[in-house]
Amino acid sequence: MDGFAQYLPPLAQGLGMTALLVAISGVIGCIAGLILGLAATSPLPPARWASNIYTNIIRGIPPLVILFFMYFALPILFPLLTLSQTLTAVIGLSVYAAAYMGEIVRGSIRAIPVGQGEASEALGMRYYHKFRYVIIPQAMKIILPPGVGFLISLVKASALASVIGYDELTEEGHIVSTLNNQPLNVFLVVAVFYFVISYPLALLGRWYERRLA
Amino acid sequence: MGPDFSAALPYLPHLLHALAASVYITVLGFAIGALFGVPLALAKSGDVAVLNWASRVYIEAFRNTPLLVQLYLLYFGLGQVGLNLSPFWSAFAGLTLNNAAYTAEIFRAGFESVPIGLREASGALGLGPSQTFRYVVFKPAVRNVLPALTNQFIILFLFSSVASIISFNELTNALQELVSQTSLTLALFTFGAALYYTVSALIAMASRLAEKTLFRW
Repeated sequence: MDGFAQYLPPLAQGLGMTALLVAISGVIGCIAGLILGLAATSPLPPARWASNIYTNIIRGIPPLVILFFMYFALPILFPLLTLSQTLTAVIGLSVYAAAYMGEIVRGSIRAIPVGQGEASEALGMRYYHKFRYVIIPQAMKIILPPGVGFLISLVKASALASVIGYDELTEEGHIVSTLNNQPLNVFLVVAVFYFVISYPLALLGRWYERRLA
Repeated sequence: MGPDFSAALPYLPHLLHALAASVYITVLGFAIGALFGVPLALAKSGDVAVLNWASRVYIEAFRNTPLLVQLYLLYFGLGQVGLNLSPFWSAFAGLTLNNAAYTAEIFRAGFESVPIGLREASGALGLGPSQTFRYVVFKPAVRNVLPALTNQFIILFLFSSVASIISFNELTNALQELVSQTSLTLALFTFGAALYYTVSALIAMASRLAEKTLFRW
């Protein structure tokens, strides 16, 4: 492992960029996913259709193709939408995360017995209060385990941002390995770095699931 | 400037050909990976300490690192120690090893979903361990986790696009190649996305059909 100390700083920097990318697109994805999930269970048919079409289509397209599409194809359709690599990575992963989170939220809301919503209405609660105080707090418990599971998928999918040149962990690994010609050592360290983010999340998810059981 | 779909239409046969390569590598990787997934699942829930530990390490290592990094390790990394795998073999090995870890967790959940009483009853009726596993545990377990297996199959199909990065010539790779040659960027990527979507929708449909017909007893 000679030169290990030399290539550790760029990889650590890449790890930070990966964490940042996942954090931002994770937050946007969760908020958008919550809206999509609420829309999918809403009484308004157009909201349901729009939400279903979105989640259905995005979940049928590879995240890599979503990134390519946003980076290469969208600027042709809308010349003003020429996004930087960072912005493409953030928006692309948010678009991807929103669809999967939306599906998780939809399923969790569906899992709450209908009587809960009916009782809230019988008590005179409006839509907002019904969801804010009755449905969402209960659905949250069901959302969390698969939600954490998807967050792990997002960490791994963020590696794809390297392909459009966003400077995260995998891209740094690529740069370093072409410089020192030791792809095996470098990518093993890269893999360990991903593991360090992802595995604690997996443990957190399992701990929470056990606590629920 | 709108998308020039009609100009991209002549490339559709080429894209379909590349799509076949995507489906091919996915089916291969899924089938052989799932084959490894069963013993991995049994090892993880079994009580042989060494096997238990080894399967845990394998499953966690592959489930907590990106497929892209796994493919880089196979394609570039192994080259460092003199083992040069072609894009096809790297992609095939990567998808197989990756899928083995994911299906192992699915199978394990499936085996655990079969009540212990059923196994005991099967033993009491005089079925041997292998017969019990085959008829009493395996088939109901697979039926219970069929939706999860289908999901994993679709995800593997979508992520087979990552093999384009190590220049395996599947759909995404063909798209990039054609885009750089023709600059019909928007139309080609739209076709590509539509092809991926169609196949994953078909897989989902086939699975619902299988659930109704394959496991009726």
